[in-house]
Amino acid sequence: MRRLTLALGGVLATVAALAAAPAAQAQETGTVYVVHGIPNTPVDVYVDGQRAIDDFAPGSSQGPLDLPSGSHQVALFAADASDGSGSPVLSANADLPAGANVTLVAHLSESGQPTITPFVNDVSAVPAGKARLVVRHTAAAPAVDVLAGGSPVISGLTNPNEKALEVPAGTVPAAVAAAGTTEPVIGPANLDLKEGTATFVHAIGSLQDKTLNLVPITVSNLHSAPSGVPSGAPSGAPSDPAVPGWLLVTAIAGLLVVGVSARRIRAGAGS
Amino acid sequence: MPGAVWLAQRPPPLPAAVAVAPAPVAVSASGVAATSAATPDEPAAPIRIGLPTLGTDAPVVPVGVDERGEMAVPDDVRTVGWYRFGPVPGTAGSSVLAGHVDDRIQGRGAFYRLVELAPGDPVLVGSAGGSARRYLVVDVERVDKTRLPTAQLFARDGPPLLTLITCGGEFDRAAGHFRDNVVVHARPA
Repeated sequence: MRRLTLALGGVLATVAALAAAPAAQAQETGTVYVVHGIPNTPVDVYVDGQRAIDDFAPGSSQGPLDLPSGSHQVALFAADASDGSGSPVLSANADLPAGANVTLVAHLSESGQPTITPFVNDVSAVPAGKARLVVRHTAAAPAVDVLAGGSPVISGLTNPNEKALEVPAGTVPAAVAAAGTTEPVIGPANLDLKEGTATFVHAIGSLQDKTLNLVPITVSNLHSAPSGVPSGAPSGAPSDPAVPGWLLVTAIAGLLVVGVSARRIRAGAGS
Repeated sequence: MPGAVWLAQRPPPLPAAVAVAPAPVAVSASGVAATSAATPDEPAAPIRIGLPTLGTDAPVVPVGVDERGEMAVPDDVRTVGWYRFGPVPGTAGSSVLAGHVDDRIQGRGAFYRLVELAPGDPVLVGSAGGSARRYLVVDVERVDKTRLPTAQLFARDGPPLLTLITCGGEFDRAAGHFRDNVVVHARPA
């Protein structure tokens, strides 16, 4: 197992269940999810030297977890290690901006090396009637296409990249296939994409070792209201008479004027 | 004022003798029923709406969003749409029901007289279980369509409310639509 230390620079970091932040201050925090995508490697996750996740199983996720913003160190140790001393399987050091929403994915690179990749989660508002679907290629496999109902909706996605779509809310039979093909290497599996949610699907594992799988994380309450309620006249006109009210009043007034004038003329002629 | 004359041309309310009896017992011909001991079932999708003071009773179907991102109101003006992505009546937030007001080809819609509702009027919403959920009108307002506060009207949290929407005000012939929305707010009785 490779031991890899990463400096993730200005981007984000990890994990979990620290002791509660002091209540008195309005402490700035970020939100973190973690995905374990390295097959056959249960780990314990340490954040800033404290064990945060115990026996983190491959193919699972943790979160949302609120962490104070700022710099953190995360290390993954083999789950049978007694504590956080010794050499971790993977470690990373990065900054978590206040208000950020991120997922840290421990996964295999395209060539099968263990690594950690941070992804920013788009949790902005989703248009009314729709769901956001984000697919992340974090598996030891070449480029893939993502199929919905058998047709590609994402083409040529490579490790460690992601692609986002906004789709009508509903249940989608989804599959992952080698780019340019339609024979599934993962799935098909039904994805329940509820309106107003964002679902982040992580393809993990190894094609060669036949351990490919999907780890989905759904964030809810991102819905938007419809922009209006068009409840007038579907044919483009109401049923009441075509003449608008004010024209009717003017027409009646005009007839009265004509009537008076006519009387005067008749009176004049007859006098 | 043109708007006032337009309203004056609409038919007057039903005479008192024809009005449905007031609460606690209100029964309409097509089955939106409430008894004094009504206990609504588990919250479920609405299938009927009754406005006893107007003699209105109409079917309700679930609807979503049209291609312009607006609520997809049923084309049949005698059918009312329930925004299916929002709360089911009886749960937190605003359950929104909308219907076309009027149409030259189809005639008057189920919500043709919505603007005549008054605070305190009952609204009955029936679901497949059979018994009706009862609401009382809180207020009736006309809002310029371009200023419709959709985020509030379609809120999915907060107290359980019922919101009824149709169109009203002046009909803009050039644009082919009414200028205003009529919005009725009702709370559980």
